[in-house]
Amino acid sequence: MALLTIENLCARVGDKEILKDFSLTINPGEVHVIMGPNGSGKSTLANVIAGHPAYEVTGGRLMFKDRDVLKMTPDERANIGIFLAFQSPTELPGVGSALFLKTALNAKRQAAGEKDIDAVSFMRRLRPRATALGITDDMLKRALNVGFSGGEKKRMEMLQMAFLEPDFCMLDEIDSGLDIDALHTVSQAVNIMRESHRSFLLITHFQRLLNDITPDYIHIMMDGRIVKTGDKTLAATLEEKGYDIYR
Amino acid sequence: MTSIDNLFLMTLSGQSESGTVPPEGRRIIVPAGQHVDISLLLLHGNADIHVVLTGKQASCRIQTLYLSCQNNRNNLNLEVIHESPETTSEQIIKGIVTDTAHTAFHGIIRMPHQAQQCVGSQNHRAVLLTPQAVVMATPELEIYADDVQCAHGSAIGALDTAALFYLMSRGIAEKTARHILLQAMINDSLPPSFEPVVQEWMAQHA
Ligand SMILES: Nc1ncnc2c1ncn2[C@@H]1O[C@H](COP(=O)(O)OP(=O)(O)O)[C@@H](O)[C@H]1O
Ligand SMILES: [Mg+2]
Repeated sequence: MALLTIENLCARVGDKEILKDFSLTINPGEVHVIMGPNGSGKSTLANVIAGHPAYEVTGGRLMFKDRDVLKMTPDERANIGIFLAFQSPTELPGVGSALFLKTALNAKRQAAGEKDIDAVSFMRRLRPRATALGITDDMLKRALNVGFSGGEKKRMEMLQMAFLEPDFCMLDEIDSGLDIDALHTVSQAVNIMRESHRSFLLITHFQRLLNDITPDYIHIMMDGRIVKTGDKTLAATLEEKGYDIYR
Repeated sequence: MTSIDNLFLMTLSGQSESGTVPPEGRRIIVPAGQHVDISLLLLHGNADIHVVLTGKQASCRIQTLYLSCQNNRNNLNLEVIHESPETTSEQIIKGIVTDTAHTAFHGIIRMPHQAQQCVGSQNHRAVLLTPQAVVMATPELEIYADDVQCAHGSAIGALDTAALFYLMSRGIAEKTARHILLQAMINDSLPPSFEPVVQEWMAQHA
């Protein structure tokens, strides 16, 4: 059974149609990559799956674990396992990073009928993940994303993914603004989480993210839909020839 | 109408006073070298607070939170008079207004001719939780002295929808997400003793 099924999805902002009959199926354990020029609708796709209220879905179907996602609120989607690492994470002045992580985890546990995590278990879960991603105690004490560098924000997104352990992880340009070392750290975080029940959708412009992560499929997105699907070798073709041949 | 009284807490020269604000308002005189800390939680009706800084190095800090719901009509008037030179004042005003409530905030900083080398600031921020909620803010600076520093700012708006979505995208329910953001806005502005009342108001109305 597919984890995520998208059929002829159409979405717009205001009068502007962005997703045009977009279709994609993702099975458990698969890693999919979407590449495409700026403005082709990659972030819109991710945001629509996450339930961003700015985007209006005007047609099509979106099923996750056999549930109709389009009827669900963003928090309900998150709590059945949908996660989006944002291209530009929002700053939350006054909201402490550690407390935020705890609140998010408890929300997920409550949705699953479990009781809140205790302080010791919380730290035991947080510490190794934060260390692996190079996130210091000082960062965890600060307000979420406030005053973080671009790279720190990206790593904080990855920490949330590692901490919440969602079944479907969308990473929107997680590689932008990262140096080689940080990129390697982020790739490791993805690889460690690859499991037979978990799937990934990576949005990127660059082949270099795929040096460490080996995807099952690469899709090229143009003007709101997938125009070409291939295996991992498609990235190299793209790097060489550019998007123009798919226009 | 909520049954909870408005809360008032004041510390002047080490002496603390807590209670409610009388309807006729409060006038607080701060002599030379003294500092007054005033915290006010306005839940219904009106509040008038006037602080007069009467001697050099007198200073005040006024923190106010107004919470207004249903069809309430509230007025909050704050006035700081820098009667003496070399005095300092700081006002931090936060508000959350919901349903069809209206709050009018009027804050004045007066620095007459003699008030040289004074520093005054007023910062007002309010969140409207419904399209029908209204805040009218009229900050006023009445400054006749020339060697002073005076700053004021006012921001009124709905909750940040991007921040709300971010929290919800991590599994946090809308109401909890809203409370987290509201709490973050008012965090630095109130004494711990007001916390339970604020929490109760939020649980019921926000
Ligand atoms: N919230 C929004 N408001 C207005 N226009 C938007 C919004 N989000 C996306 N768009 C527009 O939709 C198109 C696709 O954007 P986006 O999904 O961000 O593309 P990509 O991530 O592939 O660069 C662009 O033309 C962009 O300007
Ligand atoms: Mg994008």
